[in-house]
Parts: sequence; structure tokens; C-alpha cells
Amino acid sequence: MEAFIVIRILRAGLIMMMLFCLGTGCISQTPASPSPPVTVPADDYRNWTLTISDGTTRQVYSLAELRELPAVTGHGFAVSTVGIKYGPYLCKGILLTNLLERMGGISDGDQVWISAPDGYLWVFDYEQIQGKGFITFDENLKEIPPPPLRILLMYEMDGAPLSYNDGGPLRVAIISEEKGVITEGSSWVKWVDTIEIHRKSQ
Amino acid sequence: MRRHCYRYIAGIVICCAIIAVGCMERPVERIPVKVVSAGSLLYPLSKAEAKYEELHPDIDIQVEGHGSIQAIRQVTDLGRQFDMVAVADASLIPDLMYRPVDKTNKNYTDWYIPFGRNEMVIAYTEKSRYHDEITPENWFEVLSRPDVRVGISNPMLDAAGYRAMLVAMLAGEYYHDMTIFSRLMGDHFSPPLTIEDNDGIQTVRLPQVLKTTGSKITVRDGSIFLLSLLEAGGIDYTFEYRSVADAQGFQYVPLPGSINLKSDEYRDFYKKARVILGFPRFSQIGSERTGAPIIYAITIPSTAASVEETREFAEFFLGMSHMGDRGWPEPLNDSPAFPWSTEIGGASE
Repeated sequence: MEAFIVIRILRAGLIMMMLFCLGTGCISQTPASPSPPVTVPADDYRNWTLTISDGTTRQVYSLAELRELPAVTGHGFAVSTVGIKYGPYLCKGILLTNLLERMGGISDGDQVWISAPDGYLWVFDYEQIQGKGFITFDENLKEIPPPPLRILLMYEMDGAPLSYNDGGPLRVAIISEEKGVITEGSSWVKWVDTIEIHRKSQ
Repeated sequence: MRRHCYRYIAGIVICCAIIAVGCMERPVERIPVKVVSAGSLLYPLSKAEAKYEELHPDIDIQVEGHGSIQAIRQVTDLGRQFDMVAVADASLIPDLMYRPVDKTNKNYTDWYIPFGRNEMVIAYTEKSRYHDEITPENWFEVLSRPDVRVGISNPMLDAAGYRAMLVAMLAGEYYHDMTIFSRLMGDHFSPPLTIEDNDGIQTVRLPQVLKTTGSKITVRDGSIFLLSLLEAGGIDYTFEYRSVADAQGFQYVPLPGSINLKSDEYRDFYKKARVILGFPRFSQIGSERTGAPIIYAITIPSTAASVEETREFAEFFLGMSHMGDRGWPEPLNDSPAFPWSTEIGGASE
């Protein structure tokens, strides 16, 4: 009888121990200082516009209007100043040259200033607008002779609309017909909303 | 009785199995401490990260590198959450972060801790032309030779780039040879870069797009690409931070204290050179870059998530920095003072 009571006590202890173990094994730990979510604007671009001007003429496009223009697709791959690679991406958008043509085109000596509401600005000269003068690397970041390159105003990446975090709705991308061609990321302006043509003659 | 014993043993086995599953399969949740840093601090931070995580397995130090201005902008303009900001120019923190966070009345930060200094050197390898001739006395003569190829970072993107230009400008003053800048750099750009004298301050204005002529000067977005070229023999010499050359194992020529942008003693002399960038890449900061000692600093933004954990890591990192080591910025003389451990909690300026 005494042994029976001991066994019952042991059995009860075992059950409690198992329940405790299950509890601690299943309850997930939460970090002591949980990171609040990063606040970014929603990907709602109904009121977004791109303004392109040259000092005398000004054109304004909605995203829907840009999407109606002839689209081009190419391979894009960027590297940051400290060597972080972004890509490879399949980039779709409008060629910058096509948009500039709608403003009367540009000539040797003209510059194109592309900026974004976050305060970032990058300047392209005539040669770069033609896709020349860029430094290119292979996937191991070894310099390679540049293949033909084009500057794209990208609104779609890897088959999906460009998200805000990736620079959407419109971002500069330097594209190539070849996969794995990396270009310096400084000119890949995110959140583009302003393009200014600075004409040499002005 | 024996049957009861079997049940008892079986119970213990099941219990042990549950404990084992609970311990082995459950992923350990680690508290992230997110650091955004200047590229030249990536090596020291990787060392500190490895040691700290070994001591604190519950902490995950996550480091992301950028140029110093871009590092700060990740927090201020792009709204990304980082727990610690570490930059290669202490003055950028008050310039860019002593302002209110959107829709609040608190600043991104109100303090920073300067912790190290760096200097510009000329890095080279055994493949570099005339490497057996170059000395701290004749470096500018060697680099000016027509067949010597020199690399600099893009001054629009990397502080090491405009600092290389400042060194070449100050060299003219120091060696009393005002042709050094043009021979070494200025004449090899299109259009050529020329020095103006504005009330005793030598000033170089960069064009919007920096174009080189010939193969004398190579400009790349960041040090990493120049060091890769240097190693491959694509260039002979590059202007680099001493700590980075050290960390990567390159040989280098040290420069005189009057021009290497290291010492507070020469602060007034450094101010005699200024570079005006071709355009304000960031609207939040102007285009003028004047010579000054290279001082590293950290801060913890008010938007940080893991404040306590970051403070502990910051103390650890600055403690390692204060001991000094190869690949680290040279520690400042004073031990770092932590604003959170003082009553006033004020700025460390």
C-alpha cells in the first residue's frame, strides 16, 4: 500500500514535469526590446507624379501615363560604395533617352539632373545618357569592359511593381542585355520624381 | 511492482526526450543590435561583433556599411531603424542629426562620442612602380611621374576622395610647391581642376561630373574598388585611410602630420584647403569640404529599439577601440565618456 502511494506521487510529479517541459518548449521567446516596424509610405502612387523640365518646357507624368509609354526590359545589378551587391534584377521601365526625346532630346555638353524627395541628387552627362562612361564589374566585383548599357527609369522589378523600399515607384537602373553585369550603385537614384535638363546653351 | 517501475522509467525517458526537443529544436531568439557604419569601420566592427557575440550569445550584432553621410541618412531621411550610428567624421552627427524626428519634439540625437582618429596614407604593393624608391619625403615626386597610376575615391561619394584632394592641396603649401596638386591630380581631369586662392584658403571646385583624361588618375566609387585594383596591379598607389590599409595588409607611406589630416595640432593648417563638390548630392548638407582632423564618432539615435543592449555593445566597442589594434582608428587620448552614465546626460562635444 505504501509503495502504491509512492508510485502515485511519482506519477503525478512526472505528469506535472512533462506539462512544464511542453510549456517551456512551445512558448516562443520574445526579444526584450522588440523592433517596431519600419514606417514607410504605402505603395499607393495615385498622387505621385514625375516632373521633367529644361528651363523652358515642363512635362508632368503620372505613373499610369509612364506605363503607357514603350517599355524596355533588361538586366540590372548594382554595388554600393562599400561593396554590397544589390541584384541581379530583371528591370522594366522607360528608357531615359525616350523620355528626354519627348523634351526635344539632349546634345553634347548638356546634363541631366535626377533627384528624389529624400534629397538625393545625381548628375549624368551626355556621354552617360548614351550608356557610356560607366564602370562595370563581374559578379566577383572584378572590373570588366563595359558591354552596351542603357539608363532605365524602372517601375517594375522581377515582374512585380517596384516597391517603395526598392525605390518605387520610379528608380534609375543601369541595364544590360547580359546577366551579371554590375554597375556602381551611386547613380541608381531611388524614388525619382524630378528630372532637370541643364542645357549647355542656357 | 516491477510493472510500475517500467512505467516510471518510461515516463522519465519521455520526459527527457521532451526536454531535449524543447532545447534542441527551438530557435534561439537573439536580440538584434543594428549598427549602421562608415565603410572604414567595417573591419573593427566585425572584430568587435565576433567577440561580443561570443560573450553574449543572446545578442545579434548586425552591421551595415555606407559612406558616413549615407549612414546617417539611413536613420534621418530614410526612416530606417538602427540602434547605433558610427561615422568617420564626427562633425556630421551634430550637422545632420541634431534635429527633430518627424512629428515629435525629440532630436535624432543630442550627443556623440568621439573615439578615434585616422590619417591619410599612400597605399601600395610590391607591384607598384618605384615602390622601392618612395618615401615620406619624396612621395609627391614619385606619384607625379607620368607612368605612375594613382587611384582616388570619388569625392562626391566618399570622404576619402575629397580628403585625398585636400592632402594634395596641403602638400603644395607644406613643400612650397604649388604645382603639386595640378601635377598629381588636377591636370588629369577634364576639365582640369585648378586651385583658386580665396582669402588664403586654397579652393578646388569640382565639376558636376568628374571625368579623368588618360590613365594617370583612376576614380572609383569607394576604397574597396581601389584596393582591388591596387592588388591586381591596375593602379600603383592609392590615397587611403591608415587603418584601412593596415586592415587589408597593404604597405603604405605615412605622410607628414601637417598634411595627413590626423592631428589637432595642425587643425588651422588643414583649414587652408577646401574642396567644393560639383553638386549637393544630399540637399541636407552643403557642398563644401574643408580640411579638418579625421575624427570617428558614434551615437545612439533616439529612434533606437534596443537601447540598453546597444549601450552595452557601445561600451564594449569603444573599450576595444581604446586599446588600439591593427586596422582600428587610433584611439583618442581620453577614455570615452558615456552620456548615459553621467547625471547630465548631455552632449560630448
